[in-house]
Amino acid sequence: MVLRSIASRTAWWVLVGSTLVLGAIGGLLLALTRAQILQHTHHEAAALAANAGSQIQARVDRVAVSAQMLAAIIASRQDDAEPLLRDTLAANLDIDGLAAVFRPPLDPAAPRPHSPFVNRLDNGALSSRDLSQDANPYWNNNWFLGGLGCTGGCWQRPFFSQSRHRQLVNYSTTIERNGHPIGIINADVTLNWLHRILGSLDKPPGAYTFVLDSDGNYLAHDNPELVGQRGGTALLDALASDHAESMRLPVAQNPRARGPVWVYSAPIQGTRWRLGLVVPEYQIYASVRHIFLLSLALGLLAMLGVALITLLTIRRTMAPLGVLADRAEHVARGELDFELPAARRPDEVGRLTESFDQMRRELALHLEDLARVAREKQRLASELEIAHQIQLGLLPNAHYLDAVCAQFELHAALHPARAVGGDLYSYFMLDPQRFFVMVGDVSDKGIPAALFMAQTITLAKALAPRAQTPQNLLRLLNLELCRGNDSCMFVTLLCGLLNTGSGNLVLASAGHEPPILCGRGAPLVLEFPTGAVLGLYEDSDYPEHVLRLGRGETLLMYTDGITEASDHDERMYGIERTVESLAQVPPTAATAAYIERLLGDVDRFVADAPQADDITLLALSWHGSVLKTTEMTLDNRLPDVFAALDRCEQLLQDAGTPVALCGDMRLALEELMVNTVEYGYPDGQTGQIRLRLQPLADAVAVELIDDGVAFDPLQSADPVLTGDLADRERVGGLGIHLARTMTDEMRYTRDAQGNHLLLRFAYPTQDGSSP
Amino acid sequence: MTLSLHSEFSAPDRAVVHVGGRLDAMTFGELDEAMLALLPQLPDGGTVVIDLTGLTYISSAGLRSFAKVRKTMRAHGGHTLLLNPQPQVRKVFDIVKAVPVNEVFTSTQELDAYLDRMQRQITEGDDEA
Repeated sequence: MVLRSIASRTAWWVLVGSTLVLGAIGGLLLALTRAQILQHTHHEAAALAANAGSQIQARVDRVAVSAQMLAAIIASRQDDAEPLLRDTLAANLDIDGLAAVFRPPLDPAAPRPHSPFVNRLDNGALSSRDLSQDANPYWNNNWFLGGLGCTGGCWQRPFFSQSRHRQLVNYSTTIERNGHPIGIINADVTLNWLHRILGSLDKPPGAYTFVLDSDGNYLAHDNPELVGQRGGTALLDALASDHAESMRLPVAQNPRARGPVWVYSAPIQGTRWRLGLVVPEYQIYASVRHIFLLSLALGLLAMLGVALITLLTIRRTMAPLGVLADRAEHVARGELDFELPAARRPDEVGRLTESFDQMRRELALHLEDLARVAREKQRLASELEIAHQIQLGLLPNAHYLDAVCAQFELHAALHPARAVGGDLYSYFMLDPQRFFVMVGDVSDKGIPAALFMAQTITLAKALAPRAQTPQNLLRLLNLELCRGNDSCMFVTLLCGLLNTGSGNLVLASAGHEPPILCGRGAPLVLEFPTGAVLGLYEDSDYPEHVLRLGRGETLLMYTDGITEASDHDERMYGIERTVESLAQVPPTAATAAYIERLLGDVDRFVADAPQADDITLLALSWHGSVLKTTEMTLDNRLPDVFAALDRCEQLLQDAGTPVALCGDMRLALEELMVNTVEYGYPDGQTGQIRLRLQPLADAVAVELIDDGVAFDPLQSADPVLTGDLADRERVGGLGIHLARTMTDEMRYTRDAQGNHLLLRFAYPTQDGSSP
Repeated sequence: MTLSLHSEFSAPDRAVVHVGGRLDAMTFGELDEAMLALLPQLPDGGTVVIDLTGLTYISSAGLRSFAKVRKTMRAHGGHTLLLNPQPQVRKVFDIVKAVPVNEVFTSTQELDAYLDRMQRQITEGDDEA
């Protein structure tokens, strides 16, 4: 677009604006000038017309005066008429011919009066003849009869003389004697002079003149073709009007004139002629139009010049702005390294350039700053991410299942509030029988807490083999952490040592949240005395709390991230809600269910409030040991029986079988086997008893096979129980009764091998009763 | 774990036998022998208190030994009292209804109160006689 730049637009509008102004003023000026010019032309033309009229009048008057003088003289000297006529004709070149004709006598026989006619020949010589001698007597002619009426003299109609080949007009005046006309003087006037006069007038260019006679015919006209013709109707009407001096005709009769014309007329006194000066309107305004057009052209030229100067000036002034705009695009693209035009003057553009330069420099500094900060931030984020990974690496897996005999299972979850946190958990096998577990929470959050956490977790693992018990471990750990702890960081820690065989659990706490025992009816918060937090007081002691995990029971350890999880109204989740949540978990659920349930409930409680603290949750379940199928063969001797009983009991205890069940099983087996030894082999036979222990899902199965005499304990009668054994004559059948009572199921078969007795002992349920 | 036995005379007519460990078909003989030696030392109408606090296990053989002791004592007009049986032992006693419940005491205080009451009855009986 041509008008894109401010310079070209300004120049354009300057040009358009000044042209409009120029046009308006010029138009106004033109209108005023036209009126003045018209006025002026009116004056001049009127004067010219009057002047021409008076010139013609002077000539006409001379003719008239000459004729009248001749008439007066000839009236008395009729005989001298011819010489008088000659003299007069010689003196007045305007007259082409003079005639002095008289009325013929009333008597036709009387001699006719001499009526001389003198005319000028083409060569200038004068010739004369007597008209009275003409064959065609003049006195019957109209011109004579008419002339007799012109007492004061009158101009006749022009006519074309055939004999003299020219246009002529007559002036007639009467010759009077005694008050009666006796003849007339007739002067033939050529109209050549009239043409000459008209031609000699100082007319404006394009103007033409004419003379109209009394009948409205053109007596003379600058256009010879129109001579003798009748004037146009419009012209004649206008001349007949009141304002005959100057009038405007839309169309001229003269074909040489174009457009409307102005007609100025003046009457010629003494005649009834009228002189007209016709000026074409376009000629009147020609000069002013010319000047106006010239001025307009010059003005336009000047405007163009002004516009050009404006364009150049503004373009020159704005040139730095264009560069600035270009550079601003650079800035937008982030390229700040460029040259700026030097500020020429301290004007607005100069100041803008300087500010732009300053802005560019400061922007560059700022960007550099920003980039540096961003790099720093990125580095920190990356370090934090690495720290996060390292911290995760310090934690053992979230799930641990004792791979050897699946006696216990552990699930853990740790959700740091930030990239790194101060919560910790750890576990490891201290020896093949004992499993060490701990959960802790370092004061504060973030990187300091993470470092302290790392220190704690590493120290704990290193010190555990030496400490052997949770109490000792906390003591040793406390001493180590107290050393050089100027920042007074501290950690709360809950330690547990699980005997994987028996479910025996020794707990010690350093200011940590109490654990919760699940699976034994309602969840139970284990409140026991705790020692001081680790890292602050060197002489702290940590009392131990011992409990025995039952089969399927779960110990839940957690940090205050659970109980102090807050929702939007700053309400804390609290221990009551924690217990309620855990109570919803069915007793048969897997270990992970406790964690899922509690974390889910906490999440729902907190909703979208930000996590304020690290959350750690650890669930430790003891499944009870799994008994391995064991078979033993023994002789039918009591010591062998008891050795087998001891071994069985040991196996069951190692497998974590509840003590009561161990006692019941021992009793049943003793009664049955002692019975077999005492009564199965009469006559001192030797025999063998085979015993097979086999674990079932919810019970222990025992198979007893002996090769003694057939005996089905199920068939023996129940003893009569009176309430006092001492009342009985012989104490017998009690053992079988006891064995049957202690066994949840007993089946007997007999085959080639001997007696088969299949016993089933169910594990006690949660309420302690056998099913 | 085997049987442990310890006896003492808390009064001339009252012997206390502490039985510990396991009383089963292997060990009941020891108790029988010990009681055979002990009981004759008590006068007629004496009392033997068997403290079961340390006894963790008993089988039918053990029950028979206690029944013998009680028969012997009864034959001489004496009494046999059982003190503080542990759950496992108590369970066995309950199953076979081994002894009258009023002869089993869960604590020394209970036993002492019973013995005092019995003492008074005897004394009053003597007075009447």
